[in-house]
Amino acid sequence: MSAVDLPTRRRTGDVLFKPRGVGRVIVPLLLAVATLVTLFPFYAMVVLSLKPAVGLTFPQALIPTGLTFDAYEAVLGGNDLLRWVLNTVVYSVVSVVFVLLFASMAGYAFAKKRFPGRTAMFWSFLAMLMVPYHITLIPTFVLLSKMDGVNTYWGLIIPTLANAQATFLMRQFIAGIPDALIDAARVDGASDLRIFVQLILPLCRPILATLGLFVFLWHWNDFLWPLVIGQDSDMRTLTTGIAGLMRESQPLNQTLAGSVVALAPIFLAYLFAQRHFTEGVAMTGVKG
Amino acid sequence: MLVLFLLFRFTPFAGGLGLAFANMDLGGGLSWVGADNFEYLLGDPLFWKALTVTVVYTVIAVPLVIAVSIGLALLVRRAFVGVRFFRSVFFLPVITSLVLAGVIFIWIFNDDGPIPALLDLLGMPTGSWLTSPTLALPAVAIVAAWGRFGFDMLVVLARLNEIPRELEEAALVDGAGAWQRFRHLTLPQLRSVMFFLVVIETISSFQVFDAVYIMTAGGPVNSTYTLGYMLYDQAFKFFNFGYSAAVSMVLFVMVLAFTLVQRLAFGKDET
Repeated sequence: MSAVDLPTRRRTGDVLFKPRGVGRVIVPLLLAVATLVTLFPFYAMVVLSLKPAVGLTFPQALIPTGLTFDAYEAVLGGNDLLRWVLNTVVYSVVSVVFVLLFASMAGYAFAKKRFPGRTAMFWSFLAMLMVPYHITLIPTFVLLSKMDGVNTYWGLIIPTLANAQATFLMRQFIAGIPDALIDAARVDGASDLRIFVQLILPLCRPILATLGLFVFLWHWNDFLWPLVIGQDSDMRTLTTGIAGLMRESQPLNQTLAGSVVALAPIFLAYLFAQRHFTEGVAMTGVKG
Repeated sequence: MLVLFLLFRFTPFAGGLGLAFANMDLGGGLSWVGADNFEYLLGDPLFWKALTVTVVYTVIAVPLVIAVSIGLALLVRRAFVGVRFFRSVFFLPVITSLVLAGVIFIWIFNDDGPIPALLDLLGMPTGSWLTSPTLALPAVAIVAAWGRFGFDMLVVLARLNEIPRELEEAALVDGAGAWQRFRHLTLPQLRSVMFFLVVIETISSFQVFDAVYIMTAGGPVNSTYTLGYMLYDQAFKFFNFGYSAAVSMVLFVMVLAFTLVQRLAFGKDET
């Protein structure tokens, strides 16, 4: 999808949309305001997390003086933050690996294999795309609690592995791979498994990278499912853990320090793989 | 894979339908109650409150985020030095969890925070937004818009890019002003993309949960008690799983209606 294929280089003679008259003042002004509004929460988050717990009042609280790492020390030492980091990493990484594996396998089957009921099955997949996350929440939870999956890693992870959207995208991508390639491999005596591992997967590398990053981001930021399934403090993820700190009225600077810790990896990844992020979100649509 | 799908997507969906017509006690025993949950729902003032809040929220949030997205898309449409920086910055909130960002937004809208303080300076004392039954919902909508405009902006930008440059050139030559060009040339070209955004933003607004949970927990006096929050609240605070499933079915019908509108209008997948 080329939804993010936008002009970024200055073209000589691109005067078409150049602001004129008052626009020459207003346009940069609006851009500055929008940038400020976008970035201000991040700035406030970092500065307040570096302040002592008391006296966090506007505007003094925003002046970066008297900074201290007390809140970080407290939050990293005093409660379960490191455990939540671990849980979030497990949830995100394991999910990415299996979602990509299952989605590419199912995508390959839907795109290239003929089997009875293929069309019907694919349409029911598409239908599942339309069922929002919230609708299946309660029944999935009830099911998992009957299977004793509450407060376990497998209970957290397994229900999120059946990702209809990822399967759909993989199917679309694999459908574009020429049949001739697969037929040639088959003539050479390659098994289905071999075709999948040595031919299909390498060809899918670009989409796997983008999709993988998106699935990772989605799990990292996921909230509702970890909230209901991981109810014990040591089964929380970063989002549910920090929401817990908030609900327990922990000091604001500590809660913010936790948020900064939780956001940092995503921001670092964004710095280095920005294009994959924009593509991933453009491809998969709405944010989770 | 198929087993997983059967187990965790189809079963819950069917189960949800079933559960909506049943009651579950704490031990997990199910009893069939027919349409009782729905009957109770229709007579429950809390449900009507949640439905109203959800609709009001949607009416605030959707135009807000779309207007901001179109405005900013127009600003970063032209390739100028540094445009890449602005586009990257505007996308940052999209990859940020609203739960994590919500923590700072609570401060921003609080008594101690900048927004009430600045409005006070302008002679509009509001007090803390999150404890005000009238301002808490707009505050949640603003935060949600902050978290989503970067995505919508990209969608609008992609469309703007497809508009033939000749049109704009011709209008310029004819001496049309900036507003005239926007009103009569650009805006009509954006109609389909705006419709698409209205649909996806409405669907997402119907289901708003994360920002509500972290910022207001449905309060004050249920002024931010949305359907998405009600469904969580009923199940995990009051353990009325059957009732919660009935709420989720109402939500599902609302979302489905909008999804069908989208599919009918576009004929195929568009994102």
